[in-house]
Amino acid sequence: MLEIRSARKVFYKGQADEKVALDGLSLKLATGEFGVVIGSNGAGKSSMLNAISGALVLDSGQIIINGDDVTDMPVHKRAVRLARVFQDPMKGTAASMTVAENMLLADLRSKKRTLRQGLNAARLATYKERLELLGLGLENRLDTRVELLSGGQRQSLSLIMAVGGSPDLLLLDEHTAALDPRTADIVMKATVRAVEALKLTTLMVTHNMQHAVDFGHSVIMLDAGKLRLEITGEEKAKVTVVDLIGHFSVKTDRMLLAS
Amino acid sequence: MDLIQTVFTSFVSLIPVTLAQSLILAFVVLGIMIPFRTLNFPDLTSEGAFPLGGCVCGVLLAAGASPLAAISVALIAGFLAGCCTAFIHLRFRIHTLLAGILMMTMLYSINLRIMGKSNLSVFGAPTVFDWAPFVQPGFPASKIIIAGLIGAVVFILLNMFFKTEKGTAIRAVGANPDMAEAQGINVWVATIGGVGLASAFSATSGALMVQSQGFADVNMGLGILINGLAALMIGEAIVGKQTVLRQLAAPFVGAVVYYQLVSFCLAAGMPPPDLKLATGLFVLAMLALPSLKRSRGPAQARETIRE
Repeated sequence: MLEIRSARKVFYKGQADEKVALDGLSLKLATGEFGVVIGSNGAGKSSMLNAISGALVLDSGQIIINGDDVTDMPVHKRAVRLARVFQDPMKGTAASMTVAENMLLADLRSKKRTLRQGLNAARLATYKERLELLGLGLENRLDTRVELLSGGQRQSLSLIMAVGGSPDLLLLDEHTAALDPRTADIVMKATVRAVEALKLTTLMVTHNMQHAVDFGHSVIMLDAGKLRLEITGEEKAKVTVVDLIGHFSVKTDRMLLAS
Repeated sequence: MDLIQTVFTSFVSLIPVTLAQSLILAFVVLGIMIPFRTLNFPDLTSEGAFPLGGCVCGVLLAAGASPLAAISVALIAGFLAGCCTAFIHLRFRIHTLLAGILMMTMLYSINLRIMGKSNLSVFGAPTVFDWAPFVQPGFPASKIIIAGLIGAVVFILLNMFFKTEKGTAIRAVGANPDMAEAQGINVWVATIGGVGLASAFSATSGALMVQSQGFADVNMGLGILINGLAALMIGEAIVGKQTVLRQLAAPFVGAVVYYQLVSFCLAAGMPPPDLKLATGLFVLAMLALPSLKRSRGPAQARETIRE
């Protein structure tokens, strides 16, 4: 379960270009719930995700994961509980290391790292199995350095790495936005499969309204650092792209085009 | 014909001495490689850590300490110096290069304080090279055996370490610090520990050097960094840097080849004062090579990221 209690964050405080990124944002996500976050640029989506992961320190407010207050925890301590897939495929993987080594890094996210050998036969077999699910042939490229993979393969790898340890919370930050439509589709399908199979509590940010309609149990819309709208249950099942776009204060063609 | 023969004989006669020297200096190259390559932390501390190790070792030897104890204390002093550089960078967000320059400048005074004067003779004091089996102490062979043995042990241990769970985590910090942090790795601990370890190697090299040459000097680190970089680049050109094993072998191979090259240049009549210019030009050429290659062919395709 994730709970955000009146989170507030102001950038450049007291200067001419002061910007309120999060303005008393409160949000609840039940265990196993898949929430899709939408909102125009500058609505506070990324700030919210950064605040949850710990990359951004809040001015006030609290972040609670599974009942524990993690507000004062640094990024690497929160990593025990949450996993994140970034928009940029470069960000989520270590380019100069091999596929297997990247899998190992993610595998040990919530465990204590010892002086034992990292990659052993048992682990390699497990990683192979997990990568086979993607159907991209990555299972045969365990010793390939990640920088030699395509953006789509990298992002798929990031996803498998993120869902690997069944994290308490999965954060997806526009994770298909940098991919071509076909690859985006593969990654999105793999995402839904993993989230449903493992019943992961998930927060997905997207600019793709079709994805917001098709996936998730609820749609959360942010505007100017606040929760503007939350569509759940029956209502979510019936919502359409046009409905969602209707809620944007500034309508742009880009949203329609992106859908 | 006569000239070539003279050059060749003087070069060959110097091979054992140069080899001993290069095996000792291989630890500095290792201390330069670890931050540069595995941590992506360009570090200049070695220029101060090398004489620090030398000064600490010299003072302890003069006070009658055992050679092994002198090296151990030098190693710890180097470790602390490296930790300071990494801490300055992380805590105050000062560029790694500037943090290194600050540290090596401050170390110069500290080194003078430690010795109390600018150089110290420890000739005749016992050294680790006295323990070499089968050979007479004092000859290059004993230095080659001891320094080579220590090098081999360090190489094997590091190769094992970088493949452990902790070692993989440290490499991840160099490859992508944000990703490493998101995978639960404490970037501070890994960086401080890693740079500390590297400086410990530089200091060890300084300590071994003092035992080898029989005196310590505050200026013994002058130019060691650029020599080490040149050696590292030669090593990487020969054995590559694609795997942990190759990357770790590069400093040792590079040091051995580089110092033989230097020795050959000197034997061939190059005036010693020109050596630093030649080394600098060589490092510059090695660094410039990739960009020269690129400007000839088409620009490399980069992954395009939305917005």
